[in-house]
Amino acid sequence: MPLLKVTGLSKVFQLGRNKTVTALNNVNFEVEDGEIFGILGPNGSGKTTCLKLLLGILFPTEGSISIMGKNQFDVEAKSRIGFLPENPYYYEYLCGTEVLNFYGRLFGMPKGLIKERTEYLLKLVNLQDAGKLALRHYSKGMLERIGLASSLINDPKILILDEPTTGLDPIGCKETRDLLVRLKEMGKTILLSSHFLSEVERVCSRIAIFHRGNLLTTGSLSSLLNQYGADNLEDLFVKSIEKYDVELESGKPVAATD
Amino acid sequence: MGKMWVIATNTFREALRKKTLYILLVVALVAIGTSRFFSFLAAQDELKMIKDVSFATIEFFGAILAIFTAMGGVSGEIEKKTIYTLLAKPITRKNFIIGKFLGQSMVILLNAILISLFFIGLLISKKAVPDMEIYKSLLLIYIELLMIGAISLAVATFATDAFNIILSFFLFITGNLSVYFKQVIERTENIIFKGLGYMLYNIIPNYENFNIRDQVVVGVNVSWQYVGQTILYGVMYIVIAVLVGIYFFQKREV
Ligand SMILES: Nc1ncnc2c1ncn2[C@@H]1O[C@H](COP(=O)(O)OP(=O)(O)OP(=O)(O)O)[C@@H](O)[C@H]1O
Ligand SMILES: [Mg+2]
Repeated sequence: MPLLKVTGLSKVFQLGRNKTVTALNNVNFEVEDGEIFGILGPNGSGKTTCLKLLLGILFPTEGSISIMGKNQFDVEAKSRIGFLPENPYYYEYLCGTEVLNFYGRLFGMPKGLIKERTEYLLKLVNLQDAGKLALRHYSKGMLERIGLASSLINDPKILILDEPTTGLDPIGCKETRDLLVRLKEMGKTILLSSHFLSEVERVCSRIAIFHRGNLLTTGSLSSLLNQYGADNLEDLFVKSIEKYDVELESGKPVAATD
Repeated sequence: MGKMWVIATNTFREALRKKTLYILLVVALVAIGTSRFFSFLAAQDELKMIKDVSFATIEFFGAILAIFTAMGGVSGEIEKKTIYTLLAKPITRKNFIIGKFLGQSMVILLNAILISLFFIGLLISKKAVPDMEIYKSLLLIYIELLMIGAISLAVATFATDAFNIILSFFLFITGNLSVYFKQVIERTENIIFKGLGYMLYNIIPNYENFNIRDQVVVGVNVSWQYVGQTILYGVMYIVIAVLVGIYFFQKREV
């Protein structure tokens, strides 16, 4: 059984009386236990919408989501998920240690364990000196780091990361990449949305490409390169999107159904 | 209870670290501290004036704090998008709203009790030992403030801040004038307007019920039965408001 299964997922936003935006259109995919699943797509293609639906932050217009056999609102399923939102939004009046403590308590973790994890995670993301600093004094990259640390507080089975390296310096990017690989080795399953193709290329076992709310294709990098006759991930990205747009103009777009 | 309490204490901590609470406190204390000066102007009994001004101050500044704390609690989290991280955690939306209510109530009570202590201290310094009637009046004001907060919390789950502020203050004013409103309805001839009027009268929170300070200031006793009934009314109103908040928040996309 896949760890995560998305079936016929659509999301239509109502903008005005007669105006709607289809952010996600009949999306189907599965994520297996232990893989790093890369989510690619141009700006506005529906990546963030998809992740928010997985977390029960948004409600699907159609379709269903199964996470470890439970639905996305299930408290038990959620206790095994770690989430880093697109831009790190945090409580600016709390300091780094307090944020981790707050989230740890929301997971119902015992005090001692929270303390232990906090020390470990602050060191892991190189913020051991900023633990007592209020988040409003953090830099953009530091916020991204504390966000990553707090997504790991509960030692999650599934990690959902929406552009975790945006705003990080090159060393931070590399450290995050290494961390993802290490987490995968520890048996975690990771969903990673990213615009950094080299990052995705290096860490992801499978890739999904979104465009205009449609899931164009999913598969391992090598199989997709083959399928589209592409040389590298960038080439694949461009080709898959061009192919869809051409088909759209000729009136017969076909999206992958996994 | 556990996770609601985590939300509650975090809400409380946020309020303690913001300036709003302290500014309101200082202004309220200054108002009470200078009330004897007003009595001088109004040529009124100083103690009476201190009581009058203090009750009004606790209610008015408490209401402002209640409205803004409740609003900031929900729409602040939505605006700053911290809500994304919360909703991804194993906490239900219901418990989030109840936690917010508990947290804001702690803030509201802390503020009201601090001002009350100052007020009571002032009375004692004037050798006027406060009697039970004063505590009854304070107790009713506290319940009223919790009610104001609960209503703003409920409104914040489905409406904008601007609408919330306007509605909350509108209810605060009309709720305090409900006696006059009732008189107007009673004099209305048109049966439809009369019916609508009564409906509105029953929906609008009857804050006037919580105001026994006129009696307290002139030394008329208010029965415990009345106090109990009014508290019961307030608690019922709070429960309904929180339920409304839960209902809308469960459907809300952030
Ligand atoms: N709350 C909302 N209300 C209305 N439209 C929305 C809302 N959220 C997203 N959209 C629309 O849905 C589409 C997909 O947005 P989404 O944020 O999922 O894109 P994305 O792939 O994450 O883009 P990016 O790479 O820029 O992060 C966009 O057209 C966006 O305007
Ligand atoms: Mg996005």
